[in-house]
Amino acid sequence: MRRLAWAVVLAAGVAPRLAAQGGTAELLGQAHQFYERLEVERALPLLRQIVSPNWPFEVTPDQRVDAYKYLGACLAVAGKRDSAVLYFRAAIERDPFTDLDPSLFTPAQLATFGEARRRTLAVAVRPVQPARVDPRTARVTFTVVATHAALVDVKLSAIGVGPLLSLFQGTMDGVREIAWDGLLADRRLAPAGRYTLAVVGRSRVTGASDSARVYFDLRHEVAALEDTLPALDRRALLPERFSPEAARRDVARGLGVAAAALVIAGAATGDLGGGGRAEADVVAATAAVTGVVAFLVHRRHGAIPENVAANARRRVERDSANASVRRRNADRIAATLLLVSPAAGEGTGP
Amino acid sequence: MRAAGVIVGAAILGGALPVAAQRSLVVAPLVSLAEHRVDAGFGIEHSLGPILGGVATLRFGSRLTLAGRALGGSLFGSTGVLDRDVGELGVEASVVTAPWLAFQARAVRRAYSTKLGRQTWNLVGLGATARAAFAGDAIHGVWRVTLLPVVSVSGLRDPDVAFRAAAGLEYRVRTATLGVEYSRERYDFPPEAGVRRLEQLSALTLLLELRVH
Repeated sequence: MRRLAWAVVLAAGVAPRLAAQGGTAELLGQAHQFYERLEVERALPLLRQIVSPNWPFEVTPDQRVDAYKYLGACLAVAGKRDSAVLYFRAAIERDPFTDLDPSLFTPAQLATFGEARRRTLAVAVRPVQPARVDPRTARVTFTVVATHAALVDVKLSAIGVGPLLSLFQGTMDGVREIAWDGLLADRRLAPAGRYTLAVVGRSRVTGASDSARVYFDLRHEVAALEDTLPALDRRALLPERFSPEAARRDVARGLGVAAAALVIAGAATGDLGGGGRAEADVVAATAAVTGVVAFLVHRRHGAIPENVAANARRRVERDSANASVRRRNADRIAATLLLVSPAAGEGTGP
Repeated sequence: MRAAGVIVGAAILGGALPVAAQRSLVVAPLVSLAEHRVDAGFGIEHSLGPILGGVATLRFGSRLTLAGRALGGSLFGSTGVLDRDVGELGVEASVVTAPWLAFQARAVRRAYSTKLGRQTWNLVGLGATARAAFAGDAIHGVWRVTLLPVVSVSGLRDPDVAFRAAAGLEYRVRTATLGVEYSRERYDFPPEAGVRRLEQLSALTLLLELRVH
């Protein structure tokens, strides 16, 4: 019983929406069938119902454009050219990409539709489709349209930066695909962010103007970059010059060895008469002289050639490693892919 | 000998031996001017003479070394003192615990021979070596102390006091190292019949280390 109650509640909630969509679509389908059977008089009332403000059901933009288009077609068949032009223009204004398939419509209808396009200037750009583009081999494409011959300016702008690049400037009539290589005017890869593509057209027939714009997000897909090695600080380098303290320590160490030799010779002699003292004196003198000479040499020539060479080696190794890192990073950046996705309005971007 | 073997074995079992690729071999011919002094209750006898020999050192990585040494020479006695020949074989294991400090265990067999007889010494020592680099690392001051807790001398009781001390310098020139060292060994034997035997062996040694592998 409870399940039944839930089913009723659900059905009651869903049914109106289904009925709304089904109502418009069903009526549009019936109108199409009448039109195809050339029962124009029966199709017209159905189509008028759909575009009427009193039509109680939801009508999608595509359904409305379709209804206007078939209204124009029906009226063209019926010989009501002005009304047909009016409805065709309504369709074109709502969707400048609207067109008639020459294999489905008569030359008279096509001529009438052409007249409607001549009287109506509308420019548009199709919403950007999500895409993953390798700028080295592929292009980001935008589809723009002008309903009749017009001077059209297509500009790419970054949100918050302003116009960056003019992608097209010239006369166009109808649909045109515009390719973008992902580069800006300075021939650098466009940075990630939110962009807008603005289309401005001025009719060469009527002088009327129209504009349209779409937004899209641009992101970079690039392999993770490596960090370069940090600069060699003092801890990573050997001292290249002797400090005065180090020079003084040399004297102390030399004297330390000398003292040790003399102490060993003296302290251990005990009752054995001080033998071996001369040998100890030799070592002590050698050590003392070594310490003093080291002190003097280091005071006069403070450089430590081994350390200078070792530091130079370390710097060369670091520079070489960093050059390799930069080379690999440059290769990765060069292989950056552009991820394009549609966006709604101006925002902060990805 | 046994103690040194135990230390070396423990080092090997403990994983202190790095891989074979890090081994290096250093040989060092040496020459010493040695003076031997002994007082056995009949006055001080001293003899002096050159000793030649060599040390082969196998380095395992930067921390562990094993060394073998062989020396031989003649000590010429002063007036009334017999000349004697001296020969020595020894092994030493050394572990570096800090850049400036290493500990050693050594075992030595030494023989003195005169025309009257032959005396053998077996020594086991534990010691430490401190090194201080002079600015630039080309010169090192070296201080060594070795305690000799196990000393056995044929025909004598074991000494009460036995140690070795040394001080010297090492000069490094490219791959070679020239060492000069003064060393002294001291042995105080227990009194026998009211006489205390004292011995010391001091030496001035020049040593040239050459890396061969």
